[in-house]
Amino acid sequence: MTGPGAEGSERGLRPLGRLPPPEACPRREAWQMARSLSRRARQTVAGYLFLSPAILFYLVFLLFPVGLSVYISFTNWNMLAPLERARWVGFSNYTYLLTRDDMFIASLKNTLVYALGTVFIGMAIALGVALLINNVRGSALWRFLIFAPVVTPAIAVGRIWGGIYHPSQGYLNQLLRAVGLPPQQWLSSAELALPSIMATAIWAGVGATVIVFIAGLRNIPAQYYEAARIDGARPWHEFWHITLPMLRPTVLFLSVTGLISAWQVFDLVYSMALGGTEAGTTPARAVMVVALYLYTTAFRNLRAGRATAGAMILFFIIFGLTLILLRVLRRGGLEAYE
Amino acid sequence: MSSRDTGPAAGRRRSPWPAVVGTLRFVVTLAVAAVMVLPFFWMISSSLMTYQESIRVPPVWWPEVPQWHHYLEVLRDPRVPLGLYFKNSIIVSSAVTLLVLVTSSMAGYALTKLDFPGRDAIFRLFLATMMFPAFLFLVPVYYILKRMPLMGGNDILGLGGTGALQSHLALILPFAVSAWGIFLMRQFMMSVPDELVDAARIDGASELSIWSRIMLPLTRPALATIAIFTFIGQWNYLLWPLIVTTSAPHLATVPVGIRMMATAYSTALNAGKLQAATVMAIVPTIVLFLTMQRHYIRGFALTGFK
Repeated sequence: MTGPGAEGSERGLRPLGRLPPPEACPRREAWQMARSLSRRARQTVAGYLFLSPAILFYLVFLLFPVGLSVYISFTNWNMLAPLERARWVGFSNYTYLLTRDDMFIASLKNTLVYALGTVFIGMAIALGVALLINNVRGSALWRFLIFAPVVTPAIAVGRIWGGIYHPSQGYLNQLLRAVGLPPQQWLSSAELALPSIMATAIWAGVGATVIVFIAGLRNIPAQYYEAARIDGARPWHEFWHITLPMLRPTVLFLSVTGLISAWQVFDLVYSMALGGTEAGTTPARAVMVVALYLYTTAFRNLRAGRATAGAMILFFIIFGLTLILLRVLRRGGLEAYE
Repeated sequence: MSSRDTGPAAGRRRSPWPAVVGTLRFVVTLAVAAVMVLPFFWMISSSLMTYQESIRVPPVWWPEVPQWHHYLEVLRDPRVPLGLYFKNSIIVSSAVTLLVLVTSSMAGYALTKLDFPGRDAIFRLFLATMMFPAFLFLVPVYYILKRMPLMGGNDILGLGGTGALQSHLALILPFAVSAWGIFLMRQFMMSVPDELVDAARIDGASELSIWSRIMLPLTRPALATIAIFTFIGQWNYLLWPLIVTTSAPHLATVPVGIRMMATAYSTALNAGKLQAATVMAIVPTIVLFLTMQRHYIRGFALTGFK
């Protein structure tokens, strides 16, 4: 980091800082040391000034709230009274949620099913679609088709599919009737409600996953396929022995990011399950996901302490899942892709 | 691909597989396209149906006489302030986008082109928050906004009033910094050669002008990606506006508005109009996406976050 400044002063340009030029210094080394010190000091000041807007918002709206959350989760705070007056209740929020609160436990199970189902079934479908449309003509149109649901507000997606799932006027039951199958209560039966919402979630999210897979597919060197073809490999072998192993980092990436966001699903379940569609009401326990539980507990029932403890549990689940997944997939030779 | 009487298969009986695979591929492609398109088609067609058509069994595909007036009527309906929802969404999404661009690009510059103690630790701290679920913030941020000193009738200790909760700031401030945006800017700014920045410093440029005159123009693609991504994300965001507007209905954004309309029009009599409003709510993001597809898709390819 000494190069440019020294060259500058030799070329007769204005030297950096307020230090005298090197000729004026009795010892050149000392001058250079002082100069690099002042350069570092100036960069430190500038660095923190440039970071200050981000740090300010970060402290007030991210870091401080996390600390507050930890505290709130040990109180019986009701959101209305000043927090200073909330009573400390130790771990009772946590023990209540994990041992006695059936709805919270149901929400954990539902969210687990939702996360695993949407992420892994969604990835399988997305990989299929990616292979299907990767080298096909009219890819701009395809991109638009699969991406339109991604940019559509989830609340609108919920309305659209609420209509399609409608028991009497929906197209889906109409289709079933046409092929002689009995119509179903897609959103109002306890068995079908969550799978129906998951199907919609996959429909709405598949475009983003396809795009990431296509990016991954294009990164696989063509020579691998050429070499395999020379060796007489079948398309299936190519897929199994080249495409899938080479996509491993993509799969890792999609699993981690997918699980993190799937565990926080809110919009779609909220808009499809809690009225707002004409499809009737859904049994709450069948579709209750963690985020919906936390929202209701905190902002409807005003049990902020309990809800925040639930959020902490959610955080540990996401954190743990991510660590496990990273480890499992890294064991398969992922060190190079960190 | 291979012609009928050449190649290694010429001697044997031709396998029927390529033709079957080709046909199958075509059918599956068509089916995927249909599954993606039909729900949108249904939304538009049902927005143009009369009540009788919308409840007919078997369902109608396309109304006999499209009721285009549903669109005008829902815009003029005083019970549904669609204009207000759009105004709120535009204010909030633009302000958040602008703030995220400023905070991310300034932080990105500091994290790549300035050398100071604590730099990497701060970056890691930013990144760590990407793993925190939003629910860890919602309750405390709501409270922090409520206790904002000297705002909304609050005293210096943040007591007595509503704080920032009754103004657009409640929907804007919590999203002013984005770990994802900082991450993306850092990635992009790392590819700008250090020599360029050093040369500008030698010429006496201040850090602020290096940032604004060199770094910002050079990282325009990243800025576009962050802008479109943040804007659409904010436009579609439901959870936080839902929480804030419970006590401040005048701040309702478009997604909350659709939700409110669903209650206001719960009588199926107006199902067509409600669908018309939903169509109008979707149009802006679809248009934005169409015009900035490339930048938007890069955001997904780089991070995978929705």
